[in-house]
Amino acid sequence: MNFFKHRAFKILMGTLVVYGILVATHKGEFWPFSIYPMFSQAGNPWTRAIVRDVSDTPDSLIWQTTDIDHLYGAEVPLREMGVDQIDFSNFMSKTDRWDANRKNALIRMFSPENLGDARWMAYKVKGHLTETDSVVVDAIPFLLVTRDTVFTNPLLPQHSYTSRN
Amino acid sequence: MSIKDRLSKELFQPDREETEGEIIFFRLFELFVMSYVIKLSWEWGAYMLRSSEVVLPLGMANYIDVTFMFDHSISLINAAIITAIVLVAFFRMGGRWMYFIGMLLFHMQYVGRFSQGEIPHSANLIGMSLFCFGLGFIFFNETVKKRRFILGTIIFFTGLGYTSAAFAKMIGTGIFWADGNHLWLWIAEKKTDILSRTGTYEYNFLQQLALSSRAAATAILAIGWLTELSGVLIWWRSLRPYVITGIIMMHIGITLSMNIRFDAFIYELILIGYPWATLIDRYISYIPGATYAQKLNQ
Repeated sequence: MNFFKHRAFKILMGTLVVYGILVATHKGEFWPFSIYPMFSQAGNPWTRAIVRDVSDTPDSLIWQTTDIDHLYGAEVPLREMGVDQIDFSNFMSKTDRWDANRKNALIRMFSPENLGDARWMAYKVKGHLTETDSVVVDAIPFLLVTRDTVFTNPLLPQHSYTSRN
Repeated sequence: MSIKDRLSKELFQPDREETEGEIIFFRLFELFVMSYVIKLSWEWGAYMLRSSEVVLPLGMANYIDVTFMFDHSISLINAAIITAIVLVAFFRMGGRWMYFIGMLLFHMQYVGRFSQGEIPHSANLIGMSLFCFGLGFIFFNETVKKRRFILGTIIFFTGLGYTSAAFAKMIGTGIFWADGNHLWLWIAEKKTDILSRTGTYEYNFLQQLALSSRAAATAILAIGWLTELSGVLIWWRSLRPYVITGIIMMHIGITLSMNIRFDAFIYELILIGYPWATLIDRYISYIPGATYAQKLNQ
């Protein structure tokens, strides 16, 4: 058993070294190895995303930035479509360039069947702490999606769709 | 006794005779892990069919273009292969590399599924367990050593993971990480996620408490951080049930305050944290002539 103890410890330490090298060279994550860095940077602004059905919302209102509790249109629960909301948020926030491929990927994510004749607004939702330590959450209309077309917000600068922000 | 000897003794218990309860518990634990591996493989495989773009390459996806997994049902074929390999390994019909090969394919399934940008940790413990099974089967022939190594290694990396998470917070933010207004910002973030997922949202009692008092929110974060920091204490057998209980409570707190569920984590913590083998030993001692362990001793 003494031999087992030494051998087991050696393999454990060898694995730990491989673990350490992989997470150190891959931003803390090489699944299933992880340093579990989630929530390590507290107080940072965040960006998520949400979808609303704005088929019945007047055109004069749909592009207006609002707060999270006063969104226009009707809710579109992503769960009912089998879409993971974190995937959707990351897809929205981590896309640098909204070219035709990305826009089509968004339609595919929602699926044309689900969209039907409706028009859905994909909001970018941004939260941050103010200097007085209160939380502000803004919902910015970002992409208007129909089953065959994706429109950008004419009130946002063009670089919003060519670089991450 | 050196730290190495002490740690080896606590994790691998090399000098203790193996009991029937341990053998039975190990096979049940193995069944739990492999059931989750199969379940997740199919869930991730089915989800991948609606993917078309890699948003964030993870793990091997940094080196291999995993978009090939999104078409022609490749992800489902991979799930089927993982299932077959895991079943063969579970019933001890394949070679010693089966679990490790299963782990590599399971890794590909994860990086394919989550190249969409999310990096969830809820399945890490299952993945890490499969990895440890892979190592144990490659490096050890004798069943008792195999079992002791696998469980000890899983416990080692579980404890390390929690403590490293606590250190990551100090490195990422510093001592003001636990300031309650940070929890307010996370609650707002998770509220947005739930609104996106279900269309409606209501604060629960813990969130209302945190939002009504910065001191209460700070206390919630500080208790959570201290619990994480204590993770490595599960390396010691005598402390394990108490520390694991604290960690499970922390996960329940995370679920209530930030709506993040860690079901697989909690189930596995319950399995590795408490002396189930001793309980099984007590139970089977009342059954004369019971030979369950002999049948499972593979």
